[in-house]
Amino acid sequence: MRGLLRGTVKRTESVAPAAPPIPMYLIIMAAFAIHLPLLIKELPLASYDANFHIFFASHYVHHWFNPWNLKWFAGFSQTTYPPLPQQWVALISRLIGLNMAYMAVQMAVIVLLAVGVYRFSLLWVSPRAASFAALASVFLGSESFLVYSAGQLATTSAAPIYLNALPFLFQWVRYGKWRSFVKASVLFTAAAAAHHATLIFGSFFFAVPVLALVFLDRGDDESASTSGVVARTVTIVVFVAIAIAIVLLPFWISLIRYPVTQTPIPHASRANYILSPQWGMNYFVVPYGALILALPFLVVRGAMVPRLRPLLFGFWLAFLVGLGGTTPVGRVLLGRAFEVLTYERFSYWATLLALPILGSITADLVDRFHTRAIIPLSLLAAGTCALAVSWSTFHPADAANFDVQPVAQWLNRDGHYDFRYVTLGFGNKLSRLAVLTRANSVDGESNSARMLPELTKYGGGALTSSKYYEKAGLDSLRAMLHHADHYGLKWVIVRDSYYDPLLHFAGWRQVDSLEDKTITIWSKDGVPPAVPMNSEQIPPHWQGVLWGTLPFGSSILAILVLLIPESRDSEWDEDDTSVAQANLLSGRTV
Amino acid sequence: MAKGILIAVSIGIATVLLIVIGTIWPVSTAVFFAGGPGLGGSASTPIAASRRLANEIHQHALAKAYSSLGNKAQFTEQEFVSDLTGSTLSLRTYATLDTYEVRPLHESANEAEIALRMHWSTVVGTFEETRDLHLVKNGDHWVVDWPLVKKPVVPPQVFAVNYLRWDVIYRGAGDDWGSQDVDAPHVRIIDMHPVNRAEGVVVLGELLNEDVVPAYVSVRATLLAKNGSVLASEDSFDKISHTLLPKQVTPFLIRFPGVDISQIASIRMDPISVLVSASADPVIEVQNQKFNGPPAASLNGQLSNQSGQIVNIAHVLTTFYDKNGQLVWVAGQYIDRALLPQTPVDFHIPVPADLAKNIANERTVVASYRSGSSD
Amino acid sequence: MNARFLLGALVLGVASVSLAQSGSLSLPPTFVAGSAFSLPTTGSGKAVFYIVGPGQALRRDVDLGEPVSFPAGTLYNAGHYVAILSSGASTETGQFDVVPAAQPEKISFLAKPSRLPVGLHNGISGAAYIFDAYHNLILKPLPVSFELSNQSSTVQARTVTTRNGVAWTEMDSATKQGSAKFVARVGDISSTRVIAEVPGDPCRLVMTARPDGKNVELQTAPLRDCGGNPVPDGTIVTFTESYNGMQSTVDAPLKQGIAKVEMPAYNGARISVASGVVAGNEIRWNGR
Repeated sequence: MRGLLRGTVKRTESVAPAAPPIPMYLIIMAAFAIHLPLLIKELPLASYDANFHIFFASHYVHHWFNPWNLKWFAGFSQTTYPPLPQQWVALISRLIGLNMAYMAVQMAVIVLLAVGVYRFSLLWVSPRAASFAALASVFLGSESFLVYSAGQLATTSAAPIYLNALPFLFQWVRYGKWRSFVKASVLFTAAAAAHHATLIFGSFFFAVPVLALVFLDRGDDESASTSGVVARTVTIVVFVAIAIAIVLLPFWISLIRYPVTQTPIPHASRANYILSPQWGMNYFVVPYGALILALPFLVVRGAMVPRLRPLLFGFWLAFLVGLGGTTPVGRVLLGRAFEVLTYERFSYWATLLALPILGSITADLVDRFHTRAIIPLSLLAAGTCALAVSWSTFHPADAANFDVQPVAQWLNRDGHYDFRYVTLGFGNKLSRLAVLTRANSVDGESNSARMLPELTKYGGGALTSSKYYEKAGLDSLRAMLHHADHYGLKWVIVRDSYYDPLLHFAGWRQVDSLEDKTITIWSKDGVPPAVPMNSEQIPPHWQGVLWGTLPFGSSILAILVLLIPESRDSEWDEDDTSVAQANLLSGRTV
Repeated sequence: MAKGILIAVSIGIATVLLIVIGTIWPVSTAVFFAGGPGLGGSASTPIAASRRLANEIHQHALAKAYSSLGNKAQFTEQEFVSDLTGSTLSLRTYATLDTYEVRPLHESANEAEIALRMHWSTVVGTFEETRDLHLVKNGDHWVVDWPLVKKPVVPPQVFAVNYLRWDVIYRGAGDDWGSQDVDAPHVRIIDMHPVNRAEGVVVLGELLNEDVVPAYVSVRATLLAKNGSVLASEDSFDKISHTLLPKQVTPFLIRFPGVDISQIASIRMDPISVLVSASADPVIEVQNQKFNGPPAASLNGQLSNQSGQIVNIAHVLTTFYDKNGQLVWVAGQYIDRALLPQTPVDFHIPVPADLAKNIANERTVVASYRSGSSD
Repeated sequence: MNARFLLGALVLGVASVSLAQSGSLSLPPTFVAGSAFSLPTTGSGKAVFYIVGPGQALRRDVDLGEPVSFPAGTLYNAGHYVAILSSGASTETGQFDVVPAAQPEKISFLAKPSRLPVGLHNGISGAAYIFDAYHNLILKPLPVSFELSNQSSTVQARTVTTRNGVAWTEMDSATKQGSAKFVARVGDISSTRVIAEVPGDPCRLVMTARPDGKNVELQTAPLRDCGGNPVPDGTIVTFTESYNGMQSTVDAPLKQGIAKVEMPAYNGARISVASGVVAGNEIRWNGR
């Protein structure tokens, strides 16, 4: 942590004596005060994807070096998803169990985000403004939305690591400090090990503005000649690309051998938020919260201060893409990938990019209006956070909360686990059930990992939610039930009588019921016991060893290199006054 | 400063413009989530008015659809909703309008006839429905007169019920291994016939329950190549009536897509039967079956529920024979409306035109589903 | 410790044993399953005595010179056993068999099928497995009597001697339907199974028709198989009416022995009836 806090570009925003920044320990305490009780209450378990990550982690608990997981899709490789946060959950679960391990990792990520936002903001604004940005990250609606509603542990883990890497990128490209090169490279690699998409898109939204800042800031700095900057940029890009290629080698091999060619699955983040206001509420109002009120001021401040313009453009682009189908930008920029990606994370990145400018505005408001600014700003921040946290209650991932333990117990007894099963109407309880049972399923929640043609051909999501995908989902379900014998699929566990007619006419019999008959179990006669499938997709042992070693190792290495102290170098530490001049101008415009 | 203002204003204007473009010409995914094409479109032509109505039905915006109708004074909104979703639990209840087509039949300056063909998606598959819409010009726009299908009224009556059902008690898990258990019902395939079709081989047949107890049945067919290897193995899925009462016969159809009959040396048939609890009710009469020959070959008829119980979903399966009594084809249709007591419901089963010329006779059975029944 | 062991006379008069003087224990070749016995020992000091056999392993700490007692039911699985005595560096072994008790205590009786049509020759099979009190299959030949009785038929009885612990037989199903008791007996022990003897296919299927308003009421005569047994309720009877190129069908279950339906009355319609693969009579409807 000390290494992270040091080694940043020290800047002054005004020639006048400035108010001090908020101490980082206070910001971290605020993060703990707000998020720790919520995490101890295990609120993220009600989110869309938390149980998905816990399921992956549960596999790493038992099979750290074997990414082949039999519990979903009749067997699939976990090398289809970067493993870092899940492996940390698996490791910590040895001490405190899976659920609390997840919460612990999520808490660490929230703290790391505050630090990362502070360090990233220091590139653009004064330490005081950066500290306000860091404090704002604790209340950030998009962060709370991803943590408590979406459960996107990977995205929320990768972004802070990435933000912490960017100042080192700046130092390397501008000043050529090898120590920064090493730190930036290791952190970028660790970020990719947490979530590859963050690195790919972060390069455009975050790194390009930072590189542009290097050009803007270099002035007469001899060490930052154009050719030198370009050479250093190319050097780190190549090095990091190679490092990521090696660290996530099994992931790339899997992606190349089995590219994602399945029919795109609809995702509401691709909606037009005006034509579909319910999704606008979910993917725009909740993540942005009171930041929506600040958008005009963010644009004006970002445009008026030349140093902030690269950041503004990065924010704007992420903002437009994050609007999903509300504008044509995402479709034009991403092409077919538009139909594969989801856009709540772009809004998350946009809000992160907005934070330095927001911090700058906030600092000005507080310095000028004191309590009259602090009170409304605090209320807005608290309201934003509260809305995003409570959104999982207003708009739950599952309409009904129910206990899957009895289902797991049923599957775990009397040899029921010799056959595969599929659930209907379980929503994202599917992952929780998979954690608890030893039986294997043909269904699962990881769309990129599934290979069975019955699942990839039609454009439906998880079978358990087939009806929500209408014809595509139901076609997929019928195809799977039709081939039940092939997969050893004997049990269909139903929590939605909508599916009963299909099972009735397709040759399944209700054989048991659980939980006061709210869950029924249907069986097909003559189904042979399940046998291993997809064997050609099983990663070889060496890939398992790499997968268990390098991604996690990259995070350990990142912690170690951050312990290397930064040398004080006045060349880039003290002499840069361009920002002060610019911010003086901006101070008058707000 | 001026440059900064220019940038800020440009970003603001560009953002608004992009949002406007994205809203007026939404990308396909956005259209999907907003309820399909033509959403909120005008009703300036009969086609446009019909499309708008279909989109509202697609979105389940039935109140909005009802309010736009020209003849809404003739029925209530509830009757309109019941017409589309069924008044009793049936396939229609949870059906979603997947796609639709509109076809003009007639148009004058002030009136038009449009055929609206709707493809509904349900849990057991799709069904089609065509409604002939009458449209009237009202000022500068057209309004649709919805052809309401009146809800059948079942007269008050008493059905004498003589329950006949079988219950089964199997041996317990803790019983000694020598303890007796009930045997599976004896079933027999009484006919089997492979047919080569463009999409692959289809195995047709009939299965008889020759026992005195009800049977839950299924049939699996395995195609064997000349070298004895297994080419493919499939089962009858929903192309069979799975519950067979004593001496009852069901047709079955098993598809093998992508397989040509020349590849097959033999076919292994594995009928599966399990003794299950069952009820002899309801009895469903298949009335007025009439086979219509090519080109639009089909079997039309009516189902009439002879019992006092409501059948929520019925599946009609018909075996077609040639003049020598040989199997020609097996086809079926799910009935989208519930079978109310003594209330006939039409069915229509299309038959491949190339096979229709061989058909001389047919036999129809009905599988039924009743909500809340485990039979 | 240099130990010597004597496996001596058995307390409950089961067998006698002889002194073991060398590396192998001298034991009687057989014991009866479940019987009690005692083993005197010689020498001094402590030792451990093991008995290992099918599904059983015993361990006893032994004070040499004191008898080792095994109460009834200690060794109960029939089969081959190995005895090991271990004291310090010396180990001595012996082998013996545990045989089933001669007295049968239990019959496992497998009767197939649980349900079959009447009048089937050798259609019923029964296999009896004879066990002692400890579930050991008694291999010694024993006479087993099988008896199949149906209230309306003569009793079939047969006695079969077991071979390797099993006796089996075949019986004919009766000509009259009903529940048959199938009993296997050894001495005082017996086991009973119930065989459902059910009617066969309908032998003669006849329907009659009478007008009922706009409909025609069709009713079968009580259905019987060729042995005169009433066909059970629930059996499906299919009525088919053909007229003007159209057809109506009803699958009706027998209730109280008859199937009854109403179908639209069309003059000139041909109405036929069938059940399974058995066809009945045909009626041409002319209004009465």
